[in-house]
Amino acid sequence: MAACGGDDDGETSESETESISQADIDEAMQTPTEITFWTWVPDIEKEVALFEEAYPEISVNVVNAGQGADHYAKLRTALEAGEGAPDVAQIEFQMIPTFSITENLLDLRPYGAEELADQFVDWTWAQVSGQNGEVWAIPQDTGPMGMLYREDIFEEHDIEVPETWDDFAEAARELNEADPDVFITNVAPNQGAWFSAMLWQAGANPFAGSEGERFSVDLNSEQAQQVASYWGDLVSEGVVSTDADFTDQWYQAFNQDKYATWLTAAWGPVFLASAAESTSGNWRAAPLPQWEEGEQISANWGGSTSAVMSSAQNPIVAAEFAKFLNADTESAMTMATEQFLFPPLTSVLSDPEFAEQELEFYGGQRVNEVFAEISNTVTNEFQWSPFQDQVYADFTDTVGKAFADQTDPVAALDEWQSRLTSYAENQGFTVESP
Amino acid sequence: MTPTATQAPPAGTMGGRLRQHPHTSRHAFTGYLFVAPFMIVFVAMLLVPLGYAAYLSLFREQLIGGTVFVGLDNYVRALSDQQLLSGIFRVARFFLIQVPLMLTLALCFALALDSGMLRLTRVVRLGIFIPYAVPSVVAALMWGYLYGPDFGPFAQLAEEIGTAVPSFLGSNLMLFSLANVVFWEFTGYNMIILYAALRAVPSELYEAAAVDGAGAWRTAWSVKIPSIRPALLLTLIFSVIGSFQLFNEPNLLQQLAPNVIDNAYTPNLYAYNLAFVSQELNYAAAVSFILGLVILVASYAFMYIATRRSRS
Amino acid sequence: MSAITTTSAAATKSRAPLDRRSTPLTLGMLAFLVYFLLPLFWLFIASTKTTGDLFASFGLWFADDFSLLSNIERTLTYDDGVFVRWLLNTLLYAVTAAGGGAMLAALGGYGFAKYRFAGNRPLFMLVLGAIMVPTTALAIPTYLLFSRVGLVNTPWAIILPSLVSPFGLYLMRIYAESAVPDSLIEAARIDGAGEFRIFFQVALRMLMPGFVTVLLFTLVATWNNYFLPLIMLNNPSLYPITVGLARWQGQAAASGGASGDLVPLVVTGSLLSIVPLIIAFLLLQRYWQSGLLTGGVKQ
Repeated sequence: MAACGGDDDGETSESETESISQADIDEAMQTPTEITFWTWVPDIEKEVALFEEAYPEISVNVVNAGQGADHYAKLRTALEAGEGAPDVAQIEFQMIPTFSITENLLDLRPYGAEELADQFVDWTWAQVSGQNGEVWAIPQDTGPMGMLYREDIFEEHDIEVPETWDDFAEAARELNEADPDVFITNVAPNQGAWFSAMLWQAGANPFAGSEGERFSVDLNSEQAQQVASYWGDLVSEGVVSTDADFTDQWYQAFNQDKYATWLTAAWGPVFLASAAESTSGNWRAAPLPQWEEGEQISANWGGSTSAVMSSAQNPIVAAEFAKFLNADTESAMTMATEQFLFPPLTSVLSDPEFAEQELEFYGGQRVNEVFAEISNTVTNEFQWSPFQDQVYADFTDTVGKAFADQTDPVAALDEWQSRLTSYAENQGFTVESP
Repeated sequence: MTPTATQAPPAGTMGGRLRQHPHTSRHAFTGYLFVAPFMIVFVAMLLVPLGYAAYLSLFREQLIGGTVFVGLDNYVRALSDQQLLSGIFRVARFFLIQVPLMLTLALCFALALDSGMLRLTRVVRLGIFIPYAVPSVVAALMWGYLYGPDFGPFAQLAEEIGTAVPSFLGSNLMLFSLANVVFWEFTGYNMIILYAALRAVPSELYEAAAVDGAGAWRTAWSVKIPSIRPALLLTLIFSVIGSFQLFNEPNLLQQLAPNVIDNAYTPNLYAYNLAFVSQELNYAAAVSFILGLVILVASYAFMYIATRRSRS
Repeated sequence: MSAITTTSAAATKSRAPLDRRSTPLTLGMLAFLVYFLLPLFWLFIASTKTTGDLFASFGLWFADDFSLLSNIERTLTYDDGVFVRWLLNTLLYAVTAAGGGAMLAALGGYGFAKYRFAGNRPLFMLVLGAIMVPTTALAIPTYLLFSRVGLVNTPWAIILPSLVSPFGLYLMRIYAESAVPDSLIEAARIDGAGEFRIFFQVALRMLMPGFVTVLLFTLVATWNNYFLPLIMLNNPSLYPITVGLARWQGQAAASGGASGDLVPLVVTGSLLSIVPLIIAFLLLQRYWQSGLLTGGVKQ
């Protein structure tokens, strides 16, 4: 930032929140510059090319440094070493606080990011907003949660598509009794992100109130216990399987008709279509089952943003790139229809080209439309911890392990909480738990 | 080490301390020149990072509050860290499961190769050694498939005959499954070292034993094995180091069984995760130092036992 | 007397008076051989299969489709031939580190063996003790230090740390002690040869089997290294094969069929990655086996 720079030529020195002038932006965008962008979206070069076409002086070096946890580990070491870090990086929503607390993210307000707010679905913008109104990133894609289910299996066993979690549990038992090789769904004991989405939907908000030095944690709230014991019961009854997800084992299970549903996010439908080709035509999409009959509440799992690193050499160019990539009509549309990322932009969500797409794999259903509606039912409040990768790692070792070993997941919630408490204390936080 | 002293190369080839160096001090400077390149790289790539790690381990960098000097706090914390301790016990158990079997078999293979009682010696020798040339990444990947509970060949075979294989990647068997991968990778390597040592044992010793009427087994037991004790010790020390530093195999199999192999499954895995996931670089350095100390103590203990035995 | 003749004489010495060969022992060893070769056999079979057959057909025999060639072609051309790039990177890292490391070890081992100077023994013990330092203890601080001098994410980040082989130094010292006779050095001195000329023109030739041994073992260690490049490199075009394959494996898992069916590429890539090393070991077996012969036995 130029905040510290005493410009000699009489121009006003800018304060933190003052915005960059259009003239500065124009100048920066016409100066030959190279920026580096870390992402794991396949073939994103296509959207990048659109940007480079619009700004011929700028070239973007796209690097795939890994996916998920690997990506963050690399990003963190590079940032810590002060060398080799990108200017712009793909950051999932849940990781924004983790990187903003270490002051690695650039507040995009001075770069005109706030003007884009109206174009994005409310909760997605809430997710990228800091507690003091900062804009830490631009949403790239989202993952509102729904339920993909096997219509043929449900029909074969004469089971109605469950609308509440009670119905779902009932269906789970019926299904497994009728065919012990079929499970209504799989709880992946390594997938903290999935479990977080379940907490989110149930109204638990375990890290609400965390701010700055204060770490608030309430993982054994009533709602969290409800979620843990619900799944724990189904697991110990043996009517829900517990395979680790995104493994060969898990992919084969879809192809071998082992799971009747996949409770997943909006990026799931197309993903599943290529992973379980042999079951094409048998799947349908529906909203998540609800805790209260008649409600429509959903949560988010995954989805990413483009964030500018505070160490970026050319913050103006980097910020313009992050904005263009996700808010330019053509770029956003390409991302939604070619990379099949679920869009956060309202204009794309309602665009017939996107919404009315009919997918063979789902018997011609307009799956995007289903998830676009779900996207409107995602609640705003859910807050992430300032060290979310630690939260997930500890989930796998505690609650996840309880699912895998069929021990008490409610007790494991306490263990999860106490691990995070001592971690936070070691990191110098003031820990608050009710 | 008397047996080897009679070996072919000229006299005066044994242990530096016994030998009269033929060079006067005017060559001392040249000596430094010869060892300097190695020592410079050694200092730069080993001692400096090690010293830096030691320095780091005395601080604590927090997300809140920045970096403070904490003296030995990280070490104190490590000594009561349940995750670290159970990791150390786990690799110790791994060592006990894997190393005795591996070294015993490597020794048996080497003796068999050396006995002259084997056909196809070259094929056998190379075939057993080849896994050493396979990267552990590939080895873990292959065995990961072979262990597969649905589509792995063992599972397929078992299904054919109407039974089921045990869950190789489950929490009960994981340590054995890992031990098997490491066994597969390194038995041949150890065999070759031991075999080379056996080949260098002077044949007069065998002939003497043969004159005494000793059979093949007896010769192996009372002549061959004692005379390759240094090589055995060497393989043992390398195995201590390898076992306690276990990282690649569990790191790669973790993808297949994330709830069995947790982030503190082995001390090295723990240190890695502390540094790269938990952002506790300083504590990770302390953990690594403690691990190094454990290895040092274990290796030294083995050396001590072995040299005492050989004296008595 | 050169080292080669010494050691190969030892290697060919015959102990079996007549045919004492035992069929049961041979059969027993062949059974073990099956165990050691089974995973490689599986790897070869798996490389000939499509993804579907990989999971559906019996793992230890061919499926109806024989796709080895198309798998190899896809592996080599996927993502603009990045696999070939990885292969060349690996070759560069391994050969440079092995050549340099073996040379450093030969010079140092010879120096420690043949010259008396203050600190000879303590220095040598210090190097040996360093074998016990856990890799993570070094990798992280090395990363931080390298990043300060701009070496991270360059080939040097892999090559420089791989140059140090304490075991190589140990082996070369032992080897120099037994293979290079002091009398020969003295004779060369009397002829007026300088110390380094003696090393390069006389001693090095005798050290060759030991040199090749260290070369090969450093080659394997660098070729198979996973941890160091995993930490040091961010740029996929610098990856060695190990990290690249692990990356493909992770990508295959995370993306299902979405990003172009990577499973056969991981399998075929694994097969291709081990072929060069096996060939190197086969071609150079005379050298490394006799090199170990001396090194393995003495302390």
